[in-house]
Amino acid sequence: MSRTGRAPSDGAPPCAIVGSGLTALAAYATLRHGGLEREEIVVLGTHADPTARWRIQAAAIRQRRMRSESDGHLAPADFPGLALRAAWRRRSARPLLETVWRGYNPRVEEFLAQAAEVRERSGFDASFVRRTVARVEAVAGGFELDGEGPFRHVLLATGHPGLALPLELAGDPRVVHAYEPHEYAPRVAIVGAGMAAATEWRNALAAGSEVVSIRRREPLRRPLNVPRSYFTKRGLAAFHRSAPELRAATLRELSAPSYPPDARADAVLAAAAAAGRFRVAAGLNGADQVIAATGFRRGYSSDALLAGLVERHGLDVHDHWIVLDADSTVPGATDERRTLSIGGVAGQWAFPAADTIAGAKYAARRFLERVCRSR
Amino acid sequence: MSFTLRGRIESRLVAALPALLVAFGIHRWWAVDLVAVMLLVGVVLDAALYDRLIDYQPAWFALPLGALELTLVYAAVRVLSLPAPLWTAVGLFALAWVSAQLFVHAALPRLQLTYAESGGELVRQGALTALAVPTLVFLGLGAAYVTRVPTVHLHGVVRGPVVVDRAETLVGGTIRGGVVIRSSRVTLRDVTVVGGVNGIDVENASHVMLDDVRVLRSESDGIHVRNSTVMVEHCTVADPAGPWVQGIDISYSLGRAMSMVSGCTIAGVREGIVTHSSGVNVMDNRVLDTSLRGIVLGEMSMDMASGNDVEGAQGVGILCLDHSMCEIRRNVVAGTRVDGDGDPARAGVAIEAQYYAQATVSGNAIIASPGGTRGFSNSAIER
Repeated sequence: MSRTGRAPSDGAPPCAIVGSGLTALAAYATLRHGGLEREEIVVLGTHADPTARWRIQAAAIRQRRMRSESDGHLAPADFPGLALRAAWRRRSARPLLETVWRGYNPRVEEFLAQAAEVRERSGFDASFVRRTVARVEAVAGGFELDGEGPFRHVLLATGHPGLALPLELAGDPRVVHAYEPHEYAPRVAIVGAGMAAATEWRNALAAGSEVVSIRRREPLRRPLNVPRSYFTKRGLAAFHRSAPELRAATLRELSAPSYPPDARADAVLAAAAAAGRFRVAAGLNGADQVIAATGFRRGYSSDALLAGLVERHGLDVHDHWIVLDADSTVPGATDERRTLSIGGVAGQWAFPAADTIAGAKYAARRFLERVCRSR
Repeated sequence: MSFTLRGRIESRLVAALPALLVAFGIHRWWAVDLVAVMLLVGVVLDAALYDRLIDYQPAWFALPLGALELTLVYAAVRVLSLPAPLWTAVGLFALAWVSAQLFVHAALPRLQLTYAESGGELVRQGALTALAVPTLVFLGLGAAYVTRVPTVHLHGVVRGPVVVDRAETLVGGTIRGGVVIRSSRVTLRDVTVVGGVNGIDVENASHVMLDDVRVLRSESDGIHVRNSTVMVEHCTVADPAGPWVQGIDISYSLGRAMSMVSGCTIAGVREGIVTHSSGVNVMDNRVLDTSLRGIVLGEMSMDMASGNDVEGAQGVGILCLDHSMCEIRRNVVAGTRVDGDGDPARAGVAIEAQYYAQATVSGNAIIASPGGTRGFSNSAIER
């Protein structure tokens, strides 16, 4: 174990965040904003830089703009947003006008710069301990993490459990996942129909490749990952009230690949199609390179920590989701004195867009409420 | 943002707080009434329209929705006959609108981290504040009702002089022999005054409103104001009882708030509108056929004359006199006649500054007035 901060053992701090990605940073900053001292929080994760994994994936698909909007940042409060920051820094009202008119999609570097500020201002590094947590155990007075603790309040922010690769592509030497660094061959087949696939179509065309889009269905066009009402109580209230079967069906429907409407990008594809450089096909056929824009593995069972937690504690699950309360806490493991909460993609049962920045904040803010209530 | 209905209403109520505080601050019941109307219109729209039709509200919706609400509030104000000055009322609405944007997009998300996720619903202090706003409005409306000024409707002809020594509103009818106002918060609306030494005499009073009054056959001044603040709108002063009658004379009120004379027609008197040692905004009036001067802003007054038509004045059209500071803008002065006594200061001068007065003039149209714009006796005219 290499340490860059204090260890969680003797006299363990009350709060632990398991994971050190974007969700962890959002949660940490939120807890600090809520009045917790650095010494009261420990972050256990594998990357000292919370943006490290995301940065690699965004770079792999040459992502320049965020899909999220002005409030898609990691600071605890939504205001000021990234549009205001950009307007101030560029001395231009354009980002503000964009955010008023149709939504401002921040540049990736703006998002990362702000994340770095949040990391520094919050003192994230002082609470970080480099460590992989393999086991969470509910004990009297909280939770033990790999036998250490107990920690009264634990937020699991383990992130995506890994890249998804269709079985039929396994072992094919032409295959590279979209989120892994790669260049583009002259003839490229891109599997998938979501945001990453749409970005890769344009990347490959820009690199001079011929592109075949391999997809089973026409992609949905949505500005954000899920309809906007699911980001607020307006849509969430009914979602939380719905029966488990219906809720799971909703989540399945919302998980369908989508990407935002973009007339300029559509024009690029149409021009490429007219020139014979872009077409849609149902299966692979003679490409030099296959890019799997197929996202991430899904479900708690793909994550060893969560799978073990479910198995040992008999947590309620539905399909591949862990059943959570509306505030992202694990029922049965949470009471007035202790909290086990799940943030990030594994928290979809509470918040359909859990794998977004908004989802990270949703879990973090409710975690803070519980921590503050029981302090 | 995707609001819940409760979130819409709570956010609206909290955001109305600055406008409500201003309404209380300016000590006008119409302002509190206006905030109440704004809230009522808004909440009805929230419940009946917005919540049903708008699932997600992008920021730019604030513009068309604001325009819709302004239109409905304006209509409601007209229907309810609220005595709200148009531009002040629009200013109060604009304040509420801007406050709403600042609250929804900046203050509330800052103060309550879960504000957006909660669909605009507020917790604890926010919810209490939302509750306090309608409570304050109801208290304000109640106070306005309890302290409302009684209204007296006059029918036919009343023998005067009528002395008004308490706050009240007189509406309609004809008064012979003049009206004397000795109390603040008096309104005369749609009243005809015939005769009297002064047609309407206002002394030592404030918040006096003369709206749509007609003053005929007065012997000294049509409207005579001393040490008072008056709003005179849409009046007529005509048919004087003698050659020395002045139209409207507002004097010795410098310690008071600004008075206003607007939209009046004054004809055939010696001087049309006269001020001495007062602050008066003289705007959009018609002054016809005066025998000495059309409009006089005099004796250390700080006045503005704008948008007036002064036609057929003998000697001088508009005069800034005796250490006064005057802004004279966008008036039409036509047919100012030369007085026959050979005095250059009365040689058909359209706009004149006299005796250490300072006049700022711009945008005036001067027609058939041989004296043009001139200054005399150490006065200054700035263009």
